[in-house]
Amino acid sequence: MVEEILEFLILGFVLGGIYALFAVGITLIFGVLDIINVAHGEFFALGGYALYIAMVVLGLPPAVGLVLSTAAVFCFGLLVYPLLIAPLKKRLGRRAPGPLFLVLTLGLSALMQNSMLAVAGGEYLKVPPAMTGGIDLEFTYVSNQRVLIVVVAGLTLLALFLFLRFHRQGMAIRAVAQNPAAAQSVGIPLGRVFTLTLGLGCALAGLGGGLIAPLFSVYPAVGFTLTIKAFAITILGGLGNLLGAFVASIIVAIVEALSVLVIPSEWQNAIAFGTMILVLLVRPSGLFGKKQP
Amino acid sequence: MTKTMRVALIGVPAVAGLALPLVWSHPFVLHIAIQALIWALFAASWDLLSGYTGQISFGHAGFFSIGAYTAAILTKTLALSSWIGMPAAFVLCGAVGLGVGFPALRLRGHYLALVTLGFGEIVLLVATNWESLTGGAFGMHDFGTFTGLSGDPLHQRQISYAIVAGITLTGLAVLLWITRRTEAGPAFRAIREDQVLAAALGINTTYYKLLAFTLSAAFAGLSGALYAYYIQLVSPSIGASSQSALVIGMAVFGGIGTIWGPFLGAILLFGITEALRFVGVVYNLIAVGAVMVVFVIFVPRGLAGLRLRRRGRVQRADRRAAESAASSG
Amino acid sequence: MLSVEDVSAGYGRLEILHKVSLEVAPGEIVGIIGPNGAGKSTLLKTIFGYLPPFEGSVRFEGAMLAGQSPDRIMRRGIGYVAQAGGIFADMTVHENLVLGGYSLGSSRAAARSIEKIYDQFPRFRERARQRAGSMSGGEQRALAVARTLVIEPRLIILDEPSAALSPRFIDEIYGTLADLNKSGIALLIVEQNVRRILDSAHRVVVLDMGRNAFAGASEELRQSDRIRKLYLGEDAG
Repeated sequence: MVEEILEFLILGFVLGGIYALFAVGITLIFGVLDIINVAHGEFFALGGYALYIAMVVLGLPPAVGLVLSTAAVFCFGLLVYPLLIAPLKKRLGRRAPGPLFLVLTLGLSALMQNSMLAVAGGEYLKVPPAMTGGIDLEFTYVSNQRVLIVVVAGLTLLALFLFLRFHRQGMAIRAVAQNPAAAQSVGIPLGRVFTLTLGLGCALAGLGGGLIAPLFSVYPAVGFTLTIKAFAITILGGLGNLLGAFVASIIVAIVEALSVLVIPSEWQNAIAFGTMILVLLVRPSGLFGKKQP
Repeated sequence: MTKTMRVALIGVPAVAGLALPLVWSHPFVLHIAIQALIWALFAASWDLLSGYTGQISFGHAGFFSIGAYTAAILTKTLALSSWIGMPAAFVLCGAVGLGVGFPALRLRGHYLALVTLGFGEIVLLVATNWESLTGGAFGMHDFGTFTGLSGDPLHQRQISYAIVAGITLTGLAVLLWITRRTEAGPAFRAIREDQVLAAALGINTTYYKLLAFTLSAAFAGLSGALYAYYIQLVSPSIGASSQSALVIGMAVFGGIGTIWGPFLGAILLFGITEALRFVGVVYNLIAVGAVMVVFVIFVPRGLAGLRLRRRGRVQRADRRAAESAASSG
Repeated sequence: MLSVEDVSAGYGRLEILHKVSLEVAPGEIVGIIGPNGAGKSTLLKTIFGYLPPFEGSVRFEGAMLAGQSPDRIMRRGIGYVAQAGGIFADMTVHENLVLGGYSLGSSRAAARSIEKIYDQFPRFRERARQRAGSMSGGEQRALAVARTLVIEPRLIILDEPSAALSPRFIDEIYGTLADLNKSGIALLIVEQNVRRILDSAHRVVVLDMGRNAFAGASEELRQSDRIRKLYLGEDAG
């Protein structure tokens, strides 16, 4: 029993790393732009496809492939603000956006998901693991790919937090999240920060999609279920709260992994949604949230 | 334009369009027309809650799915007539909508959208995993179509079309009547514009929000039941979030907040996507995504808004003229 | 140095300012007063680019500002202190000042400038690591002013610097403003506290219903019974 628990704990950390990359990106975008990116999962899938192209089609080494695929998704993410969000913002002026941004990113999600389906087909593409072999812990065997996921996700998120804390552009992102008008008054161009934030957020998803590709395969809808789950996580963590999103990701992943011991695995996905709904009923602003919805 | 002229201008082509599939009874045309009408009722039901009242549902396919399964289960397991199955789906989904609406009262905007999305996913999971009731991943079939249809396939389709068109148009009429002719309409709009202000004006926001939830879910469930009896196959995928996305796309296309806009938008968009099936199954869904993106940015009021906007411009010009006349006189 | 000519502006289609004009000369303190809803804040927001003017021109040292965004306008050497200060409450005092120098690019130039500000306001050096939002209202306002100094502006625009402050802090902030003006910085101040602004400003512009109602030296305004009665809510005599 103890060994089983430990085994699922390890699985929880691996999934938690992926969830965290994903949910922190959504949270970052929400905190800065006040927009929930429904198409986030498609950038995750895009990361997987980009890695597939880099490693399988072009035959590049895994490390180079992962960097390039993440960079490619970053570039795609950079386009979202100037091409889609800025025109709608401009059109709206000072009117309340209502659901329009949600509908916009929902449309982007359908567009991207089905474009990937049209180009790549619906089959599950296999990507070779970046690292082979593994660590034998006697009670269980941990593949190096899983270790890699935890390490890369952890280091990336650490780098992101340091960037936001100390770098001039990172501080500008935080400044815009807190007070856009004041940020403008000190010379921060909002458009550039919005563009960069979407690029970064999407790149995090793309990295996650690349990291998990060897374990999950790549297919167009690979990110969509994760998007819905990540919404639950971001709500638990308090919308807009990066640290909250990180902690909630780990918690949800571990609870999900351990729940297999207690409830049938086909109900696993209900845990995140169920918890989200329960938490919202008790605390409408999320576990760690302070903003009222 | 006089009112009679306008009614004639809209009414005559509408009646002609509706009658066409009965006259030109090609099975494929009927097949498309029936499904388009089902989607139209579904889109109008979404619009009542999300477009009209401003409470965004991202999980409306959940209600559609519950309605379809209710119809299928009642008919297959209990051998009940479709004339019991459809009202049952309507009532049950209304009750579920009320149940979802209660917790949703505390939530607004983003949070509500995400919770309804979670609701849709839970319905999907239940439909997939409760095999003894729902038939699991393969769903249910062979529960029969509308009760009392003849065996002749073409005749069967013609009658199905008449049933679906009748129920759907009645549904549309009821929704339009509620929003235009009862005090619920202004209350819904006030809630959409400013909940706090609406409450301050003495509008019972709790009651009207729950009313919108209940009605919207009931009609979504009814459209699900129509779907189940016509297609005679229900599976978990009819409750997938992509279905919710599709219905939102239809509503945006037609113009949210008008009830008839989404109704019309659904018929047109469904027609377009079915036509695109000949090009390739994927392309119709790409088209839906593209329509949503383009319309939200460039035509946020949808097809219905094209006319309204021009009228707004005329009104503004009139006002300006009146003002300048008043100031010079 | 700043010249606003016949500017009309507002929100959406609603016009609040109707052909307003004003001038600020180098080194001058100009006050803007007027009843609530006169369009004082709207005027500042239009000058600083938060609102695009419907018509009219805004010039600073010869360059056209109208139609530009605030982040570009500030780079010409204009500081802006919003009504409630507009500091980054969840960041430290030091981070607020660092962001004040965002437009300088090179962090060395900004660091030198911030060092000077710490010399000028020693209490911010002590509180460099404190969360800005945890300071008192008066200190937050002073921080907002100090934050504009990092770029060494030639003009600072202030929207009601005394709002919601106790008299002691109002004295303090106006003391600071007077010092800044002595060092050559021009100030354009919207103020509800009419007595205070008449004591500090060289010239005053009165707005009413979105139009210029009066403009002249503070002394002149103080003498005019009509103006006092109409706009200052005093009985003449």
